[in-house]
Amino acid sequence: MMKGLGASEGYGIGRVMLIVDRELTYTPREVADIDAELERFHGAVETFTANTFEQADAVRKSTGDKEAEILEGHIAIISDPFMKGEIENLIKAHQCAEAAVEQICQMFIDMFTATGDELTMQRAADVKDIRDSLLGILLGVQEVKISDAPAGTVLVVHELTPSMTAGIKKDNIVGIITETGSQTSHSAILARAMEIPAVLSVPNALSQLSSGEQIIVDGNNGDVITAPSQEQVDEYTAKRDTYLREKRELEMFRGKPTVSASGEEYELCCNIGTPKDAAKAMEKDGEGVGLFRTEFLFMDRTSLPTEDEQFEAYKTAAVVLKGKPLIIRTLDIGGDKEIPYLGLEKEENPFMGFRAIRYCLQNRDMFKSQIKAILRASAFGDVRIMFPLITAVEELRAGKALVEEAKSDLRASGIAFNENIPVGVMTETSASGVIADLLAKEADFFSIGTNDLTGYTMACDRGNSNVGYLYSPFQPSVLRLIKSIIENGVHAGIPVGMCGEAAANPMMIPLLMSFGLTEFSVSAVSVLKVRKNIAKWTKAEADKVAEKVMAMTTEKEITDYLKSVI
Amino acid sequence: MVSKKVTIVNAQGFHMRPASTFANALAKYACDVTLKVNGKDVNAKSLMNIIAACIKCGNEVEVVCSGADEEAALAEATAMIESGFGE
Repeated sequence: MMKGLGASEGYGIGRVMLIVDRELTYTPREVADIDAELERFHGAVETFTANTFEQADAVRKSTGDKEAEILEGHIAIISDPFMKGEIENLIKAHQCAEAAVEQICQMFIDMFTATGDELTMQRAADVKDIRDSLLGILLGVQEVKISDAPAGTVLVVHELTPSMTAGIKKDNIVGIITETGSQTSHSAILARAMEIPAVLSVPNALSQLSSGEQIIVDGNNGDVITAPSQEQVDEYTAKRDTYLREKRELEMFRGKPTVSASGEEYELCCNIGTPKDAAKAMEKDGEGVGLFRTEFLFMDRTSLPTEDEQFEAYKTAAVVLKGKPLIIRTLDIGGDKEIPYLGLEKEENPFMGFRAIRYCLQNRDMFKSQIKAILRASAFGDVRIMFPLITAVEELRAGKALVEEAKSDLRASGIAFNENIPVGVMTETSASGVIADLLAKEADFFSIGTNDLTGYTMACDRGNSNVGYLYSPFQPSVLRLIKSIIENGVHAGIPVGMCGEAAANPMMIPLLMSFGLTEFSVSAVSVLKVRKNIAKWTKAEADKVAEKVMAMTTEKEITDYLKSVI
Repeated sequence: MVSKKVTIVNAQGFHMRPASTFANALAKYACDVTLKVNGKDVNAKSLMNIIAACIKCGNEVEVVCSGADEEAALAEATAMIESGFGE
């Protein structure tokens, strides 16, 4: 067995096809006719551009816009007047086109690699791909025809390049193995976009494997099984069939409403961290955004973002969501997250310290500019405001007062916003759980943050291995708080969502349905799984499970029981 | 010669797309456009040189334009950087 990096899910069983790099050798020579050589170079660039356009088109149809963009980037690179000029200068100094192309490409590859920056180093891979294509054209060397690969082929390449993927027929390629690449490399992105199982960074795969041999690719675990026994082939065939069946079953839930087996409807939203994620949430069939974390706007920079900058980001997300709900959580920053320009003091106990709403209420100008930006975005969709870390009713009142102040500022300036924007509470502290009845009278909605709620309630740091065993949302104490928050919200007639990790947990789902949760907010990749899990339960069955669980005494008893019923 | 200092605001800095848009937009000007950043002089009309300079969010960049249409080029270049390339 060979070990690599599982970069694209699924199981592939097939026969190896080695894609060995083309022989791109030449003897550098001095050219006498400079004009003719320049002509040859320009011809090669033209052919390259035309080929790449065609490939980009093919990739756009077979895979997607983003993947096609990578290839279009190659055209942008070869059109760079500086790079072209440098190659021409070498040709004018009597070098042959091949040597000129190679030297200048190598110069950029070295420059990009030297930065040590991941994003820039990935561009070096693009330049290599361009160099090889140009040399191939100049030397008249044909590329190996991946498009000729027969059904059941496992491609083994040094590196999967964007130009290679243009030739891949999805039905024929059952797996991909590369010698290089990381989770974020082109190889990984392209394999995932094509939904072909892939294992990357398998050292010396090309020299250890030979074309035609049978092989198994396990893209989930990053395993490559060579010379598999009949038992292994049977085992992986079964795994593959199960994987594909489950995937198909999940796909059946795409575009469907989120309903229980007895017809109760729920909202199923996504948690996002950037405006870009909003598009992903839509792509994965989310019904809105239940938690938009705004910290990204404040991190990796040297000064506060302006109101306009924030507005643009919130508006972008609102526009992408096309009227679906967008809950924006105000800045949740504090001692544990490093933002140098805020000048926060190091605290003994950051999780109990000066963070989130506490920090914001004492930095009113900053907080108001964020609230104004959110209000302005509310003219472009169903935008809602959520305050994190609320522990007392006064905090909610102070936050709401600031929202009113921001509204009157905007009104005075004649700027549009939603006058009735809902303002809600992220119930993630034990205090907010205990006073949920009081908060429910003044909040427009609740959203339960189970990660912090569990940590605060159990007084335990999940990262500390000595006490981590206490950290479970299935602790009776945490479950009672969750139940009380939901019931108090329901009683007051306000929606109650959950945006913590627990919302996607199949064991938690029947409990939440029974307690009366109205909205589940999960990571985009979990949307279909959660919809399927909700569809499994009738309200009556969920009630029965919840009743039993709430009568139990220990976390172990509860989880053992829930495991037995899901 | 005219120049102005600006700060990179988009999260990913001058990566492929912004660098490409930026270099293309400046191609129409006759003047030379140079980015002074991290102690280096970068040809702003070259996508490849911009990428090699590895310009990140928060970096301060001095845009220097020199030539016939320098004022217009400076205005467009700084506006693009300050707007975060619409990202």
